Amino acid sequence: MISIEVLTGILFVCVIAAFALGAPVGLALGGIAMGIGYATWGEALFNVIPTTLEDTYFSFILLAIPLYIYMGQLLTRSGIGDAMFNASQMLIGRVRGSLAISVIVVCSMIGAMVGIIGAGIMTSGSIALKPMLDRGYDKRLALGVIMAGGGLGILIPPSIPMIMFASSTQNSVGRMFIGALIPALITIVLLIAYVVISCKLNPQRAPLDVAPDNPPTTKEKFLTARDGLLSLLLIIAVLGSIIMGIATPTESGAIGVVGAMILAILFKRFKPRMVQKAGMQAALLVSVAMWIIFGASVFSNFHLLMGVQSMVAGFTQDLGWPPIVVIMMFQVIMLLLGFIIDEFIIVLMCAPIFTPIAVSLGYDPIWFGILMILNIEIAVQTPPYGFALFYLKGIAPPGITMLDIYKSITPFVLIKLLVLIIVMLMPELVTWLPNKLMS
Amino acid sequence: MVAFIGKSVSYLMPILAFVVAFEVFCRYVLSHPTVWAHDTALFLFGYIAALGGAYVQQQRAHINVDILYNKVSPRMRSLFNMVSFILALFFVLLVCKMSIGKFEEALKFNYRRQSEWAPHMHHYWLMMSVASGLLALQLVSDWVEECYHLLTGKQLLPENIRHTEEHA
Amino acid sequence: AEYNWRFANLYSRGTAFGAVYEGLAKNIEVMSNGRIKVQVLYSGEGVGSSGIFGAVKTGLITMGAPFQSLNAGELPAGIVEIGLPGGTNDVGDLSTLFYEKGWAPILKKAYGEQGLVWLDPYIQPAVYVITKKPINSIADFKGLKIRAPGAYGKFLRNLGASPVSLAWSEIYTSLSTGVIDGSIGSNMIDHRDGNHVEVAKYMYPLPLAGAQVLPIIVNQSAWNKLPTDLKAIVKAATAVHAQEQMTKSRLWESQAVADMEAKGLQWSPEPSAADKAAWKAAGAKLMDEYAAQDEYSKELIDILRKDQAND
Ligand code: NA
Ligand code: NA
Repeated sequence: MISIEVLTGILFVCVIAAFALGAPVGLALGGIAMGIGYATWGEALFNVIPTTLEDTYFSFILLAIPLYIYMGQLLTRSGIGDAMFNASQMLIGRVRGSLAISVIVVCSMIGAMVGIIGAGIMTSGSIALKPMLDRGYDKRLALGVIMAGGGLGILIPPSIPMIMFASSTQNSVGRMFIGALIPALITIVLLIAYVVISCKLNPQRAPLDVAPDNPPTTKEKFLTARDGLLSLLLIIAVLGSIIMGIATPTESGAIGVVGAMILAILFKRFKPRMVQKAGMQAALLVSVAMWIIFGASVFSNFHLLMGVQSMVAGFTQDLGWPPIVVIMMFQVIMLLLGFIIDEFIIVLMCAPIFTPIAVSLGYDPIWFGILMILNIEIAVQTPPYGFALFYLKGIAPPGITMLDIYKSITPFVLIKLLVLIIVMLMPELVTWLPNKLMS
Repeated sequence: MVAFIGKSVSYLMPILAFVVAFEVFCRYVLSHPTVWAHDTALFLFGYIAALGGAYVQQQRAHINVDILYNKVSPRMRSLFNMVSFILALFFVLLVCKMSIGKFEEALKFNYRRQSEWAPHMHHYWLMMSVASGLLALQLVSDWVEECYHLLTGKQLLPENIRHTEEHA
Repeated sequence: AEYNWRFANLYSRGTAFGAVYEGLAKNIEVMSNGRIKVQVLYSGEGVGSSGIFGAVKTGLITMGAPFQSLNAGELPAGIVEIGLPGGTNDVGDLSTLFYEKGWAPILKKAYGEQGLVWLDPYIQPAVYVITKKPINSIADFKGLKIRAPGAYGKFLRNLGASPVSLAWSEIYTSLSTGVIDGSIGSNMIDHRDGNHVEVAKYMYPLPLAGAQVLPIIVNQSAWNKLPTDLKAIVKAATAVHAQEQMTKSRLWESQAVADMEAKGLQWSPEPSAADKAAWKAAGAKLMDEYAAQDEYSKELIDILRKDQAND
C-alpha cells in the first residue's frame, strides 16, 4: 500500500497542476480525489460521495451562507448598503480611506453576527465591494479590506470553530469568547491603521470624494443621516435578535433578509424585480460556494480516510525542542493544513492532538485555542488554496483575477500574522480579560 | 433548460429565508416551534446549491485559479479547459451515478430524515441526480465548444447566446 | 496485514470514549496476531457522525460505532433498540431482553437486510435534560423550549414542552442567549464537554433514557471475507469492549457530574410520585407510535410489552 506521505505528495502535485490549468476548483478537487482514490483504493471509495454530500448539504451551520448572502444582495440592490456607507462617511468625514475604514467597522459588526468565515466574507463583499470600486478605490485595497474584515467572523464571538475547540478540549466557551476580544480589537485597530497609513502614502488608492459644487443642504444631510440610521437599525436588529435570544446566529440571517425587505419597502425601493435579481445572484453565489465546499470535502474526506491525521499526529511525536518552538511548529503545521482542509476540520483534527501537548508544556489552553483561531483565519486566506480566497473571487466582479486577489490580501495577511505573533509572545492579551471577568 | 432551472432556483431564496424566519417567529412569539421548518430549510438549501451548479457552469462562474490561465493564448486556454472539463465531468458523472444509486436505495428502504418530522429522502437524491446530470451535460456541451474553438479558432456559439441558449 | 479495516466512531480524538474504541481496535489487532489491522477514525475524520451507518453499509468503512438516533430515517428499529424514553436501565433486564427474549435475532435481521452485521451491543450512560431554570414539578416543563431530537423530543412534547431542532454546535450560544430553555445531551459527559453548565445550571434528576444500547456494526461483505477463527476473534473483542464501556462509562459519568457540580451544577428538586408516574406515562405513549411506524420496531415492542405484562 502507498504511504500517506507519498499520497499527500501526489495529491498536492495534482492540485497544483489542476489549478494551473484553471480548472473549476471544487469539481477538480473532487475529480482528483476520486481518480487517485480509484487507483489506490478502488471503486468502493466512490461511496464517499453520498456520505459527504449529506454531511455538507445538511449542515444547519452552513445555512448561514445562503441567508447572509441573500441579505447582502438585497441590501446592495435596494441601495440600502450605499446609504449605510454614505452616512458613515458623513460621520467620519473627509479622511482618505474613510470608506475602507467604515467597511472594516461594518465587517466587524457582521463578524459579530456570523460564526463562520464564508458568510462573513460573502456578506461583506456583497455590501461593500461595489461602493468602494464605484468611488475609485484601488481594487486591491478594496478586496483586501473585505477579506480581512470578513474573516473576523470566527474571531469575534459567537464563533463556531471556538465552540468546537472548547468542546473537543474540554474548555470553557465563555472564556474563549471573552479571550478573543482583545486580539480581535488589536486586529481591527491594526487594520484601520494600515488603511489610514497606506492611503496617506499612496493617495490614489483611496480617492477623496470630489467636493460637490454646492455643499450638501441641510435637507440632504438629514436624508443621508436618516437613511444611515435606518440601515444601522437593521444591523442592530440582527445583532439584537442574537443577543436577546430570539434567533441563533445562523437564523439571524433570515431576520436580516426580512429586515432588508422591510427597509426596502420603507425606502420605496422594493420591486419584485429587485427581489428576483437579488435571489438570482444569491443563488448563483450559494451554488458556487457549495460546489466548492462539496468538492473540497470529498477531497479532504478521502485524504482523512487514507490517514493524513496519523501523519499529523506523527509530527508531534519526537519533541525535544524548547516549548515555544513546539508551539511555532504547530502553527506551521496548521497553516500548511489550511492548504487542503477547511476551518472546522482543522479544529476537529488539531485541537485534540496539539492542545494536550501545549498544556503539558505549561501553556494556557484558551490562549492556545485563540492562537489556533488566528491561525485558521490566516490559513483559509493564503494562496494557492483557501476557502476564503474562493469566496472572495466568487463575490468579485468579472474583471478581477486570482492574482489580484493574492496580491490584495498580502498586506492584510501580514497584519494577521503580526497579530498571531504578538498574541503568541504575550499570552496575557488572551488570558487577562477572562480571568478578570470570570474568576 | 439550464437557464430555466437556474432562474427557478432563484425563487427558492426568499422562500428559504421566510421558512427560517417563520420558525423563529413560531418559536419566539408563539412558543411553539414547528417540526418541519428545520428540514425544509435544509432541503431548500440543498436544492438551491445543487441545481444552480449547471447554470453556474453555463455562466462560467465556477471559481478557478486563473494565474497561468490568463497568460496563455485563447486557443491554449481552450485546450486547458478541455482537460479540466474532463476532470470535472468525471467527478460530476460519479456524483450522478452515486445519487441514482442512493435514490433507488431510498425508495427500497423508505429512507427518511432522522428528525421527528421524518420527511422522505428519495426526492432529494432524485434532485441530486438531475442536478449533476444537467451539470454533466453542460460540461459536455462546453467541452464541444472548446474543442471547436481549439480546432478552428472560432467560437461555436455567439457570445450573447450564453445567456439565452437552451441547452440540453 | 491480511485485512485492513477502518473503524469509525462519533467521538473526538483524545476523548475518554475515543480511547475505548481505540482499545477495541488494538484488541482486534493483538488477538488476531496482526492479521487484521484496524485504523480508527474519530469525529470529523472522513465521515460525518450521521454518515457512519451509510458508510459501513457501502463498505467505505469496514466497522462503525454509530448512534442510532442519527440514523432513525434509515433504520427506524434502531430507535427502539437504543431504548425508548422511559425504558429500563437495568443491565440484567436489558441483557435478557436481547439474548433470551428475542431482540438479538430481530436486530440481526433488520441490520442484515441493509448489508450490515450486528455485533454485540454495549451500554452507554443515561440521557438527562439540563435547564436554565429549576424544574420544581413536571408542570414546569410546559412551554419550555428544549433542544431534543427525535424520540426524546416526542417524549418531552408529551410532557408539554416544545422540542427544538438545533445543530449541536449552536446549543451553547442558544442556551446562553435564551433561544432555548434547556437541552438534552447524549449523556453527562456530552453535557460537560459542551460546557452547557456555564449557561444552564439545573439538571433534572429523572433520566429520559436510563441506558442507551449501542451496536457495533460491520460491513457484510468484509465480514464474509473473514475466516471463521477471525470472525470469532472480532466477536470476542467486541464482548471485551462492551464490558469496558460498562465499567468505564459509569466512572466517567460520575466524573463528569462532579466536574459540572464544581462549576455550579445543581439538581432540580426530587420529583414527586405523581411526577414520576407522569414521566412514565409520557414514555408509554411513545411505544404505540413507534410500533406503528415500522415492522421491526413492532416486533421489538411486542416483545417488550409481553415482558412488561409478565412483570
Ligand atoms: Na462571529
Ligand atoms: Na490556504
